[in-house]
Amino acid sequence: MTKPVRKMLLAVALAALVASAANAQRTVNLVGWAIGPDDPAIHRAENLEAAVERMNADLEARGADYRVAIETDFETVSWDDYRRRILLGFESGQAPDIVISSHIDIATWADAGYIAPLDQYIEQYDAFDDIADSLWSFVTYKGQVWGIPLNPEARPFYYNKKLLGELGWSDDEIAALPERILSGEFTWQDVLDVAEQAVQAGVVQEGYGYWHRPVNGPDFWHTYYAFGGRLQDPQTGQLVFTRDAALGIFTLYRDMVERGVLSRDLINMPWNDWHRAVTDGQVLFNSAGTWTWAQWAVEFGMGFDAVEETFGFALQPAAEPGGRPVTLSQPLAHMLFAGSENLDVAAELLSYVASPELDVRALESAHLPILETTRALPEFVEDEFLSQVVYMLDYTTAQPIHAGFGRYSDIFFRALSAVEAGQVSPEEGVEIVVDELRRALGDDVIIE
Amino acid sequence: MTSGRLVRPGAGTRTGARRAGSHLRTPALFLLPAFVVIAVFFVLPAVLTVYLSLTDLSARTLTNPTFVGTANYEYILSSRWTPIVIRNTVLYVALTLAFNVLMGLGLAISMSLLPDRVGNGLRLLWLLPRITSPVIYVLIWQALLAPAPYGLVAGLLGTQRSVINAYPWPAVILANGIIGASLGMLIFTAAIRSIPRDLFHASAVDGATTWQTVRRVVLPLLRWPIMFVTAYQTLSLLASFEYILLLTNGGPGFYNTTVWSLWAYQEAFQSYVGNVEFGLGAAMAAVLVVVGIVASLVYLRVFRFDELLSRPKVEIN
Repeated sequence: MTKPVRKMLLAVALAALVASAANAQRTVNLVGWAIGPDDPAIHRAENLEAAVERMNADLEARGADYRVAIETDFETVSWDDYRRRILLGFESGQAPDIVISSHIDIATWADAGYIAPLDQYIEQYDAFDDIADSLWSFVTYKGQVWGIPLNPEARPFYYNKKLLGELGWSDDEIAALPERILSGEFTWQDVLDVAEQAVQAGVVQEGYGYWHRPVNGPDFWHTYYAFGGRLQDPQTGQLVFTRDAALGIFTLYRDMVERGVLSRDLINMPWNDWHRAVTDGQVLFNSAGTWTWAQWAVEFGMGFDAVEETFGFALQPAAEPGGRPVTLSQPLAHMLFAGSENLDVAAELLSYVASPELDVRALESAHLPILETTRALPEFVEDEFLSQVVYMLDYTTAQPIHAGFGRYSDIFFRALSAVEAGQVSPEEGVEIVVDELRRALGDDVIIE
Repeated sequence: MTSGRLVRPGAGTRTGARRAGSHLRTPALFLLPAFVVIAVFFVLPAVLTVYLSLTDLSARTLTNPTFVGTANYEYILSSRWTPIVIRNTVLYVALTLAFNVLMGLGLAISMSLLPDRVGNGLRLLWLLPRITSPVIYVLIWQALLAPAPYGLVAGLLGTQRSVINAYPWPAVILANGIIGASLGMLIFTAAIRSIPRDLFHASAVDGATTWQTVRRVVLPLLRWPIMFVTAYQTLSLLASFEYILLLTNGGPGFYNTTVWSLWAYQEAFQSYVGNVEFGLGAAMAAVLVVVGIVASLVYLRVFRFDELLSRPKVEIN
């Protein structure tokens, strides 16, 4: 074999080696599940895909031998169905690598060993340092961090400005309402009185003065908190049930039904009917979430201008004059399946999701960003609605991260619906809750 | 009759016994698929359900459940809602069953009196709900029963209220009954068509009115189909809850329309924050299995099922 031929063969062999090395680049396939359930929140899934692109660009730049691909799923089903699907995925070992769900799921899933603690990754990636400090408490359980917070919200008390106008309120009076609620001057009793006037004046029909959410969920807890209730003992971590606070909220709702302000048929009303009546301008006051602002504009076709013209928003009122108004946040969290074969890659991907460019998309569904940097961006500062509700986070409350809270919440809601339906008195409702909590949770709950 | 001939020759001798044994093979072969299906899809799940009901299996303990003995059953017995849910279940099964059977019977008889083309068209209409997906079917009911001004029925009744909340039981029974009646309708129609025509001719010759023909000729001959539909629908209603779940979710208020199977589903699978209790749900389901078996035995006795299976007293060749 002549020298040039030998050289040529060597070159070909080298080229083949390089090519095979390039071909050996592996792809790490991840799966991520997200839930709205409202349509505008689709960025939760899309951000995972965008983060993959950014991460792959960096992987290429640093010459890593792998790339990442992700398959996302965005659910608009009920929370109930979504959680059941995740649970079956956990149990069968086929859960997605990344799960987006409520921060309160952490207790059950961490206890069962389904999700992985993230403390080491939080130290490892600087991107997580930019997350607002107040949010970490939502995802910390038994001293460890189990999720990266996502899309915190506030739950405002909405009022229909046009209907208040029809009731004879001046523009100034309407504009001053959030301030009166903030100062504790305008309380739940005033909500009841004004709504009753609106019903009697024919501004709204009977039962359409004030509406809370129609199904079980977190909104009842802010009012329970307003009445001085506690849900968890900070020392022992046990659940707590405060009789007086429960009696306060049960009596308020019962009075509302009896005085024609709250429809006794509200509970179990399909969500679509609820939103339709509110966006049609039939309901004077309602309690909902910041995301409903976007939902009314986009999903129920009002458009942002009309929503702004129609609705005003404030904190949930205090129970007594001079009391503290409240709201409640239930941030979501990115959680990692403990059984995932690609935990490290999935955790690194989450550090790319925690970037201001992706975080700012929370605005599309009227959620608040998690990063301090995002909260200084012009997009956020110029967003009239969100920049005006962000103060509510100073008044926010949370649901406990406790595995027994699901049963607790179901028992409370069942009693509340019976009180509203007139089946039992508020006092009887409270005693039933006490009995049922003791029976179902035993020593896990303190009755005070 | 061939069955007589199968065992008679040589009975009592060794050859006969061997032959008899070999003759059992064929029936055993035919019975095997049914036996396997029953074992796999009924006996095994029932045994598993009882086993699960003795554990604390829940979302938290899925990977490591512990044996808790009869704790789940004691929990059910000590609940203040148990009597209410039992009452609801009896009410729901009895009223829906009565609607199903009577409506099915009425439809089958009245449509048999119509010309075939018209009768078949009407039967097809009644089958529409059955071939519609339950969720779509309930969505239609929800739209009809929504509060005014959105709901048609509220408008007709002159009420502002959600008709589902104002009249939960009629809503649940009608939504279930309209679907259930179509099964009875089909079975009774087939049975009416199999009645020999000469019986109708004979009753006409005797001067019987339509009502007398129905009362004296048709109904007595429909005894077995009525038994079947009643027994089948009872069991299926005991276990069915999907329409109640979708329409009222067991409300309004405290368990107002919660039946046993829905309660089991709620305890086992339905929780806003996802802490589901499979062990407790299994205990509730196990109770239902026992109730179903007892109900079947009662039906077999009340309708004298053994007479249906006994040899005919008169044999026509």
